[in-house]
Formats: sequence, structure tokens, C-alpha cells
Amino acid sequence: MDVRQTPTARDSVARIFKARTNQRWIGYGWAVAATVASTLVGFAMRGRFDLVNIAMVYLLAVVLVALHYARGPAVLTSILCIAAFDVLFVPPQGTFTVDDVQYVFTFAIMLTVGLVISYLVANVRRQAREQAALEVAAETERIRSALLASISHDLRTPLAVMSGASSTLAEAAEKLSSQERQALARSIFEQSRDMAERVTKVLQMTRLETGAIQIDRDWTSVGEVASSALGRMSERLASHRLIVELPDDLPLVKVDAVLVEQALGNLLENAAKHTPAGTVVRLYAKQRTNDLVVSVEDYSGGPSDVDVERIFQKFAHGAIETNAGGVGLGLAICRAIVRLHGGNAWAERVPAGGMVFRFSLPIEQPPGVVERSPGPDDGLAPDYPHR
Amino acid sequence: MDLRPTILIVEDEPEIRRFLRFSLGAEGYRVVESSTGRRGTIDAGTHKPDVAIVDLGLPDVDGVEVVRHIREWSPMPIIILSARSQERTKIEAFGAGADDYVTKPFGISELLARIRVALRHAVRSGSGGDVLRFENATVDLDKRTAFRDGQPIHLTPIEFRLIAALARHVDKVVTHRQLLAEVWGPAHERDTHYLRIYMKQLRDKLEADPVRPKHLITEIGVGYRLAASDSL
Repeated sequence: MDVRQTPTARDSVARIFKARTNQRWIGYGWAVAATVASTLVGFAMRGRFDLVNIAMVYLLAVVLVALHYARGPAVLTSILCIAAFDVLFVPPQGTFTVDDVQYVFTFAIMLTVGLVISYLVANVRRQAREQAALEVAAETERIRSALLASISHDLRTPLAVMSGASSTLAEAAEKLSSQERQALARSIFEQSRDMAERVTKVLQMTRLETGAIQIDRDWTSVGEVASSALGRMSERLASHRLIVELPDDLPLVKVDAVLVEQALGNLLENAAKHTPAGTVVRLYAKQRTNDLVVSVEDYSGGPSDVDVERIFQKFAHGAIETNAGGVGLGLAICRAIVRLHGGNAWAERVPAGGMVFRFSLPIEQPPGVVERSPGPDDGLAPDYPHR
Repeated sequence: MDLRPTILIVEDEPEIRRFLRFSLGAEGYRVVESSTGRRGTIDAGTHKPDVAIVDLGLPDVDGVEVVRHIREWSPMPIIILSARSQERTKIEAFGAGADDYVTKPFGISELLARIRVALRHAVRSGSGGDVLRFENATVDLDKRTAFRDGQPIHLTPIEFRLIAALARHVDKVVTHRQLLAEVWGPAHERDTHYLRIYMKQLRDKLEADPVRPKHLITEIGVGYRLAASDSL
């Protein structure tokens, strides 16, 4: 299994590299701008302050540019500042000649300060880059080992059950009662189905992270998505008490229905897995100003010590971890999917005891609906779509 | 003469073909196996099966191609076997004329149920049930009337057209595009939001529990299916 870098770490490296090319040009722009600004300040100060103080203003410009941009812009600022200072302020003004040797000294200082600071900043930047690369490597390593650990536990156990049960059936079937044979066969079926689902989740997460999943947006009804997810999870939620509250006037959302159905299915599955039988689970959706929030809430009186942020990370089981198993990817996949759609996923504690898992999806205005079909007029009332 | 219904299995994995052969044989079906798409296309012609089961991931030709070739000359029910990651291909397969699908891995009872629906549909097709029965509602497509709890209810012309389109393909998955073209016309093939709105209206009027519909089934990302009362 190839575990790639996490998007966050990878992005930060990409950001740094991209930023460098852009900043080079922006840096030169700022070199000019800083010189112009200091010159204006210098003009304002002239007459009331010593020349040396005006030089300090230019020095400040050099320092600021050197701090924010690479060596090139810093050197350019030094040169421009020196030129401006010399031509505009140092007598004889309007020329590039220098009467007093002390100004040569000022120039030297200015250039040196610019170079030293830009060198130091470049150093710090390089270290930050190396640090980011190290973090990427560390994160990759952490996921890899978590994945291996979870594969060895989550997949090895069902594999052991399957090979044990099936070899018993193959070699000693005649010594078993038909009920026993059936029980063994059934456990092979259930374990294999479980395992298939876990493998699917690992693959799905990998695809989401490497950007291998394309989202295919279309107008989607959250009600239909909920019905489909509820149908898929009905067996697993059979022993829970389910309340579904979907307002009639929910707007359509433009999303990839298949992916969002998975995101919701994962939340329902999470509730089924981590709360005891008989728990009330409430699925509801609410429209806010710019988005629509879907929530799965349980009243399990559940743990109060769950880290509501950590449980959305890969392989992070809540403190509630039982032998319910599962690769611990469901919530991470849910979050990755809704973020692809410009939404977010998060969890909150329910004051009465329990957890609520929510995700949001942005709302866009759907195009209008043609009220008449192009078919022949059939003399019945025209259609008025309800929204 | 062999009167057992014949089922063609187009699947490259020998282990999967074997367990299908065993379990379908045990249910009294005659099984024809093809390990490649090309072979399957030929076998569909020579054996004239009652149902074809086509895996989407074949080594030689795309499963969608097999579906398309069979559809060129036969209305036989085609059930596709797809993996979870093949959602897009699944839509293509329905566009090419597949009737139903089962997602791998599947339990045999699931597949058997689909085969029974497919066979029944094949027998019934042409006779056409003109009255659709829901838990507490009925729709008479000929008379264009609808009742709920014995009381007449109003369906708009588009709602009638939509439910009639679904009824023409009862128990089959109908893609969004196909429904839009049949109900609103080819110019509206991309206007999925029409469907969402009208399907909700139909469910609200006809389903006992619109949140958990029993007949107006959403096939997420693919389309809709009208499930006949006796297939559930």
C-alpha cells in the first residue's frame, strides 16, 4: 500500500516553492516602493532632522525588504536607497558626487545590513523548508505505521476467522451439524464483507488524498442522499432507535451525490458502531445562510473525554474504542469528501450526553425549472414545482 | 428439452464463476460461462440466455461494450457486477442498456433476488401493468387518475409523465439522462434538478414514508428505479 503525503504537509511545501517564484518579482516591486516611500518621508523630514536620520529611514527600508524578500530585492533596495539619498539629500544635491567621506561609510553600512539580514532570513527560510519536508516525512511515516498496524489487526483477525472456518468446512464438514456448518459459513460471509468494506475505505482514503478522485457535481437532494444512506445502513442501525428530521423545503445542493452519500453513510455507520444498541440516533438537516448542515446526533450519554478534533483524523479511534473494529477512516473520509465540496465536517458534544457529527455543504441557487414539458398539451393543469 | 432458465455469466475470475455455477445450479438454473467479453458476446447469441450477468471489469473488452453488443439485438435482462469504485462505468452500462446491478462483494441471496426480478420482468414485459400499487396509493396510467387512502389525489401532467416513464422500465434502473429525455425532452438531459424536485413531489404524494421510499427508489449517482410491489 502506497501511503502518500498528507495534503496539508504536501501543500505547505508546494506553497513555499510557489511563493518563492512569485515573491521574487513582488520583492523587486517592493524594493522600488520602499525606496520611494522612504524618499517621501525623507523630504518631509528635511530641514528639521539631520541627514543621518534620513539615512536611518533608508536603512529601515533596506531592513524591511531584506526581512521579507530574498537577497536580490535587498541589494536592489540598498542601491536604490543609496542613489536616492545621495542624489536628493547629500550635498551637493542633484549630483552623484560625494563630498564627505562619512557618507561613503553610511552607504557601506546600508549595503552590509541589507546583505546580512537577507542572508539570515534566507537561512531561516531554508531551515523552515527542511523542517516542513521533515514533517511531511514524519507524517507519512506515522500514517504508514498506523496503516500497517490497522491492517495487521483489522484484516488479520477476519482472515484468521475465514481461513479457520472455511478449512473446518472443507475438512470436517461431515462431523458438524447443519446448524454448525451454517454458522461457520455465515461467519465467513460476514467477515469477508466487513473486510471488503475496510479495504474499500483504505483505498478511498488514499484516492482522496492523492487527488485521484474527481468530483462529479450535479443537483442533488439531501433527502434522497439520506434515504439511500439509511437504506444501506439499515441492517447496522436495526437495533438503534432512529429519528429522521428533514425539512420539506431543503434546497438542492450541487455535489457529487455518490461521495456525499458515502460521507453521510460513514457518519451513520460511526453512530451504529460506537453507541450501544437501543441508543436514539437522530439524523437531521438544517439550512443556514450559505450552507446546509447535516447532523447525526446520538444520545448515548457517551464519553465526555473524546477529543472532538482528533477523531476526524486518520486512524484515530475515539476513546470509545471497543472491539467494534474498523480502520478508523470513516470520519476522515467524510471530512475529506465534504472539504472537496467546499464544506467542512466536525463533531460536538451533546450537553445531555452523547455526540453530534455534522457536515456542511455550500448552497448555490439552482437554475429555474421549466414548468411545461415540450410534449403535447394534455389539457390538465400546468405544473407548479414546489420549492 | 431443457426447460430450466439459462443464465449467462460473463466474468473473468474463475473462482467467482465457480461459486456462481454452484449456487445458480443449486437454484435450478442452467449456467453458461464466458471468461472474456468477446466470448460472452458470442455466447449470448448462441445460447440465447434468459438473463445475462456481466462483470464490468473484463480483461479484453469493456463490460459496457458487451452490454451494448447484446442490446443491439436482444432485450434480454442484463445484470452487471460492479465494484464500489466503478460508479461512473456503472452509469455508462445503464446508458448502454443494462437493467440492474449488484455491487461486489455480494451475497448470493442478493444476486438471486435480482435474477428473479429480471426473469419475472422478462415474462411480464409487453403485458404492462397499467395500475401501479403503492402501500396506500394507486396510480392508473391509462385513466390518468391517482388515489391515496381511497381519495382521489391530483398528479400534474409532468408527474404522470414521470411515473409513466418509470413504469415503462419497472424494476429497472433508469438513468437521470434517460428520464429527463423521456419526460422533458432531449434538450433537458442535463437538468437533473427537475428530476429531484418532481421525484420528491411524487414520493410525497405516493409513498407511505417518503423518507424511506419502498417503490420510488433512488439509485444514487445513477438514476431511479420503480420497484414493483411484489418485488419487495
